[in-house]
Amino acid sequence: MPVDFDPYIILGISPDAPADEIKAAYRRIARRLHPDVNRAPGAGVQFQDITVAHDLLTDAMQRRRYDDSQQSKDPNNLYFSLRVMPSKRSIMPLSEPQVLYLLAEILPDPRAQEGQHKRESRLNLTLVLDHSNSMSGTRLDRVKVAAHQIIDQLTPEDVFSVVSFNDHAEVVIPATTVTEKSALKARISLMMASGGTEIYKGLAAGVEQNRKYLAPRLVNHVILLTDGNTYGDQDRCLALAREVTREGISISAMGLGQEWNDKFLDELASLTGGSSAYINSTNSVVKFLNDHVRNLSNIFAERAHLSIAPDPDIRLESAFKLSPNPQPLSVDEGNIPLGSLQLNRTISVLLQFEMPAELQFGFRSIARLVASGDVLANRLQKYQVLSDFSVEITPEPQQEDPPAAILDALGKLTLYRMQERAQEALENGDVREATRRLENLATRLLELGEPELAQQARAEAQQVAYTYNLTDKGRKALKYQTRTLILGASVEIGDE
Amino acid sequence: MICPYCGYRNRPGFLYCEECGQRLAESLSSTTVPTRELDFDTDEFASRSTWGTARFDQQSFIILHIRDADDPITLQPQQRTVLGRQDTTSPQQPDFDLTPYGALEKGVSRIHAAISRNDDTLTIVDMSSANGTHLNGQRLIPDQPRVLRDGDEIRLGKLIAHIYFKT
Repeated sequence: MPVDFDPYIILGISPDAPADEIKAAYRRIARRLHPDVNRAPGAGVQFQDITVAHDLLTDAMQRRRYDDSQQSKDPNNLYFSLRVMPSKRSIMPLSEPQVLYLLAEILPDPRAQEGQHKRESRLNLTLVLDHSNSMSGTRLDRVKVAAHQIIDQLTPEDVFSVVSFNDHAEVVIPATTVTEKSALKARISLMMASGGTEIYKGLAAGVEQNRKYLAPRLVNHVILLTDGNTYGDQDRCLALAREVTREGISISAMGLGQEWNDKFLDELASLTGGSSAYINSTNSVVKFLNDHVRNLSNIFAERAHLSIAPDPDIRLESAFKLSPNPQPLSVDEGNIPLGSLQLNRTISVLLQFEMPAELQFGFRSIARLVASGDVLANRLQKYQVLSDFSVEITPEPQQEDPPAAILDALGKLTLYRMQERAQEALENGDVREATRRLENLATRLLELGEPELAQQARAEAQQVAYTYNLTDKGRKALKYQTRTLILGASVEIGDE
Repeated sequence: MICPYCGYRNRPGFLYCEECGQRLAESLSSTTVPTRELDFDTDEFASRSTWGTARFDQQSFIILHIRDADDPITLQPQQRTVLGRQDTTSPQQPDFDLTPYGALEKGVSRIHAAISRNDDTLTIVDMSSANGTHLNGQRLIPDQPRVLRDGDEIRLGKLIAHIYFKT
């Protein structure tokens, strides 16, 4: 059976390990990952991999065939690496559970920055554009300008398609290589605003166009732009997102104005590893979309995933992607999609674990992390890298500050969580609690030198006190702008 | 771990308070220096009353003579100038730090009193300090502003200063 990962690395053994060592390594890891002892979704995914690796390496003929295939490996192949750091390297056992943070960073091969390897990624890009009634006037005009500029950015190597939708979907540009730019632009100019918003129809038609040229060497990406709420078809959209992720397509979702459903678009995008964003003014549509597409042509590896298998007594509580696009991640996924790894930016993810009370002294493992993705420049793209992370449990832990990268990121992430907690309180009908949390948020924002956002938080606190509700605009601004602050913190990490 | 700013109880290992967003440092509680409670006889500080002008216009500034200090301090009061003792671990910092004038020994609170600028006058208000603020020997009621006059004597804990207006 063909494998698309290195079975020696997955089992943590050397390529000349004898059969009994392979078995021992397998048993050691299986004790931590077996579904009977470990219910974490990530453990399930990783258990499958070690089982496949074990079966392959203990079968003499398959092992020889695999080893032979490695001989012919291209030495110019590029890889990415996985770097993990904890909030504390040594931990004191407590009588109650305690929290530990890990910062996981995926870094592109430094050789990829050098001239002979530098190759721009080729795109298979689909735009799914809302042209419902509410888009009429300036909005649709700006979207057309943005689409024109995107066409200008593309090369004849790229594949491009456009679908517009309201109550039904229409293929404006069927998937095609970008040769006749003016003809493509003319078709976009013909779009007119009318009708309602049914996202599923647009998305399904867009995916259908994208699939026509779907290939592992391409960046297969769908951008959904909408300004409205869709009714009754959200579950179908999410099911479609799950399906296309497996095929290798990612979806980014952009909401324009105030009326769209942020929870839904966030979930849709994060299921596929794409990004979601809030475009608060019509004028920024053009720049926003162009920047997004520019980043797509700067990709080192596509379809990056991270699977996290905490040890059986440890719980992964939350995961948040800090960079390149800040986004909460779902810890219910065994293999969390992270989207694209760009040439010049790391993907960094902050993980929050809960460790049990009464830990035993000594070194102990926390979690096994496996990052995978398709390196676009390689002939065989699939690549996996593993980090098995441990800390020391000791009665006298070192007094050290957590790494600055974790502190910076977490400081900003806490603000994002505070607005989330304010909304939770509101959903539970606790107006006083929500008001207090918004006021706390305003205070912190002011201290961190964000007076405008602080002002907004304070205005929302008053709004809540009077109307028991947030304004749509304020709610989205607080959510997406506190998220943007996180990016500010994490860019510094990438720059060091 | 209990947040020193808002008192919220966070799980151990948290680096920022979930409730108020402030950084939780493990060693914080042990390094905060509480304001000393002084036990002294008020007769030690005799009161005095000379009445200068209360007029303080927009171009004016303050000359502050702190007793036992070498040089007078020139202060351009903002809308509100908080006097107190700087403490790096405290969530609030004063605008004017009295630490160099022996504020800790003299029982000055971290946030002790504030001088506010109004249209034509200056007022001083005690900000619930531990050892109180005295104006010309009279103890101020916390949070109730009083008008300052040229030549007034203020006392923060045991720290005595004279205020002169300059135009």
